[in-house]
Amino acid sequence: MVGMAESGGGVGVVPAGGTAVEERPADEALLQTPWVTIVWDDPVNLMSYVTHVFVTYFHYPKTKAHKLMMQVHTEGKSVVSTGSREEMERDVTAMQEYGLWATMQRADST
Amino acid sequence: MKKFSRRRGVLTTTFSGYEVELLTSLILQLVELVSDGKPEEYLSPAPDAFDELVRDLEEPGIRSEPEDPVLRRLFPTAYPQDAGAAADFRRFTERDLRSKKITDASVVLRRLAETEQGAHPLRIPLAETESWLRTLTSVRLAVATRLGITDAAAADALNDLPEEDPRSFLVSVYDWLGFAEETLISAM
Repeated sequence: MVGMAESGGGVGVVPAGGTAVEERPADEALLQTPWVTIVWDDPVNLMSYVTHVFVTYFHYPKTKAHKLMMQVHTEGKSVVSTGSREEMERDVTAMQEYGLWATMQRADST
Repeated sequence: MKKFSRRRGVLTTTFSGYEVELLTSLILQLVELVSDGKPEEYLSPAPDAFDELVRDLEEPGIRSEPEDPVLRRLFPTAYPQDAGAAADFRRFTERDLRSKKITDASVVLRRLAETEQGAHPLRIPLAETESWLRTLTSVRLAVATRLGITDAAAADALNDLPEEDPRSFLVSVYDWLGFAEETLISAM
């Protein structure tokens, strides 16, 4: 921010160019499609257990965990987390450790 | 069994000798299935990164979906829309997932053994409750798969079985496991 303000009052070109290059990676990260972890409904896992897993693993507040569990139960599935591909692979693995039926995909393909 | 109760960081209940024997046998069957009959290979200390790399080059790990329906449910395909990514995911995670299930199971088996066939109360320290919940869940998923519980309607249909139906014993086991898991969660 300071650099951009200075560039307006000075020689201009060089600081402005530097700023643009510096910000490009951040822009690209923002534009990248995130991935999502989806938990699917199954007739075996207890509702209390699914809520417990969302609270314990994701540290979601009880109300949010309960809402996600109800969405799994009534709509058949729920997006339970969003992030990079590596993060979602970690989350899917954890959900599978807990015996939940979890898959992952790009956020724009849900 | 009675409901679990919690006192000073320990969850307690009493199992009859028969219940201890039943749950132990179900868990041993799970361990046998998940480890392909070789639990010791999954319980050994984690190999270091180099050993793992060498092993991986020598024998490319698990890549395809398991054939047994219970294993298919325990290790579902992570990328339903991308077979290549799904195979890679299996290759890099399934062995660890199997080890985790076996480690959890051994925690549970130890506490069950401590009851000496139900002569003493079952005591589960809070630190071990996740291993218990994951193991009870795995066993319930295995029993449910064998009973053909694929949706809510199939589950409901099993409630109305005549007593002489060969599946009614397994259904009562499934209900008992559900009760145990539910009261363990509420006692936490």
